[in-house]
Amino acid sequence: MRYLLRRLVWMAAALLGVSVLIFLLVRLLPGTIIDILAGTEGQLSREQRLQILHSFGLDRPLPVQYVLWAWNLLHGNLGWSFRTSQPVAPLLVSRLPVTVELAMLSAACVTLLGLPLGIVASVTRSVRLKGFVQVVGLLGLSIPNFWIALALIILASYAFRWGPALIYVPPWQDPWVNAQQMFLPVLSLALGLAAVVLRMTRSSMLEVLGQEYVKVARAKGLAGRTVLMRHALRNALIPIVTVLGLQTGFLLGGVVINEEIFGLPGLGWTLLNGVYQRDYPVVQGAVMLFAATFVMINLLVDLAYTYLDPRIRFQ
Amino acid sequence: MIRAGQGVQALRGRIARPGAGRRTEGPFGLARRSPVAAVGAGVIAIVVLLALAADLITPHGPVAQIASPLLRPGHGFIAGTDELGRDELSRLIFGARVSLYVGVLAVSIALAGGASTGIVAGFYGGSLDNALMRAMDILFSLPAIVLAIAITSILGPSLTNAMIAIGIVYAPTFARIARGPTLAVMNLAYIEAARAIGAPNWTIILRHVLPNVSAPLLVQTTVSLSTAILTEAALSFLGVGTQPPTASWGLMLNAARQYMLIDPWIAILPGVAIALTVLGFNLLGDGLRDLLDPRIPTM
Repeated sequence: MRYLLRRLVWMAAALLGVSVLIFLLVRLLPGTIIDILAGTEGQLSREQRLQILHSFGLDRPLPVQYVLWAWNLLHGNLGWSFRTSQPVAPLLVSRLPVTVELAMLSAACVTLLGLPLGIVASVTRSVRLKGFVQVVGLLGLSIPNFWIALALIILASYAFRWGPALIYVPPWQDPWVNAQQMFLPVLSLALGLAAVVLRMTRSSMLEVLGQEYVKVARAKGLAGRTVLMRHALRNALIPIVTVLGLQTGFLLGGVVINEEIFGLPGLGWTLLNGVYQRDYPVVQGAVMLFAATFVMINLLVDLAYTYLDPRIRFQ
Repeated sequence: MIRAGQGVQALRGRIARPGAGRRTEGPFGLARRSPVAAVGAGVIAIVVLLALAADLITPHGPVAQIASPLLRPGHGFIAGTDELGRDELSRLIFGARVSLYVGVLAVSIALAGGASTGIVAGFYGGSLDNALMRAMDILFSLPAIVLAIAITSILGPSLTNAMIAIGIVYAPTFARIARGPTLAVMNLAYIEAARAIGAPNWTIILRHVLPNVSAPLLVQTTVSLSTAILTEAALSFLGVGTQPPTASWGLMLNAARQYMLIDPWIAILPGVAIALTVLGFNLLGDGLRDLLDPRIPTM
């Protein structure tokens, strides 16, 4: 419990750090925000410029600006989009479900593909399989997932003459159309990571299967399946969860790219559009939200350790 | 496959011998002890040679428009032509140059910045250690691609800025990896002895700490080269990295998106180039890890 509290405090501190970082980064922009707002046609006099700076509060000292910005951030106010003048916070919140759906489906797909295959590969104990699994795992790390996405699109349209609907449909409107739209993005994200998990599962399971307590469990006459699932897998899961946790950043990055490729209007798509249109309030907000999500997932991964291995007690 | 598997199996017996990883042998020694690393090194060597000799061996320049667009491979062009009628093969070979250039420089930035931070943090300890590592943790609280996108969006999209962004993104990894062994070494008697004879701090760092940190750093450098090349490809693919008309694999894939249903080849070949190069670095990194760090079991 104390550990959890400490972690939460540290999480907040890290996010504070990220917010300072983003704030300073945006202030590093070449040219002022005014020039971006006014565009090329804007020829502003000195007085007009100062007036606009004042209306945005940009004439105050940097620390004051930061405190104001952070204060608004804490109150759920992320500022207004430069392009549409809409408030950023509700915009980002409305985009979040797409990202969450894509990320969760991919993570589930990675686990469902990688874990069982890894267990099967470990049980056969084949030496030939070892090299094969090693190379497959490395391929999963080496092939860019956006290229898998393109290849899958080509395959779908050439071989199956199939392409999903172009305008995103949320699952609560039409689950079937939504599932079709999610199929290729999820698959292209999951294949590579599943290969990594497959490799890790196999090596981790083999290590555990050589332990004395597995022999004891077998000697007691327990069914092979019970030994495998209850005694071996549970212990083998710890390094697997570590790898899954390490790949979270990879997964979220892949989500950003895939949203762009497949035109899914999620957080990553919004971030990239913000970048393309130089809409910095949107970029700031989206990056903050990604940081919060990422830090939270990492905390959950660490908590999963204590569940899997009660010996691990964080101080 | 069979051979690779058996080789790694044999390797397990070898790395158990103390000091096996320290012997310096020629490339054939590496091939015998770790076929995995040797294959990786071979792939990288080929890519590096192609990149260096790009001016000599490519039939056309990387930006010369020499034929009708979107020709399939074979019509006088081994890899066909792209959407602007440029020779795809020449662009693929020049693309290797961009990938390696960005990869090597970005990892150098990460290695120099990260490793020195980690060593200094571990060496001096105390509040400096705390401050430096917490600063690194802040960079760790963003997914790599998102942080890189954020940085390039501020600096502006270009090859150099993508390089800087990737360097910043991967620096914390090096800091963590360098700090651990530094902390472990600091408790050893010979550091105390070096202090006792009045060696200045930088001598201790360079002569006694650095050699102990170099093995994990070498492995991480190899692995980071693979991720750096992937990240450059991703940034260029998203339009925030290398800009046209430079031949970059990620950029070529980006351009291919519009035409890939007409001519799939222009979407397939750059991806194969990326995957092969990255696989080379991953194989080498894997093999080196086995050789240099027998404590971690082969996966």
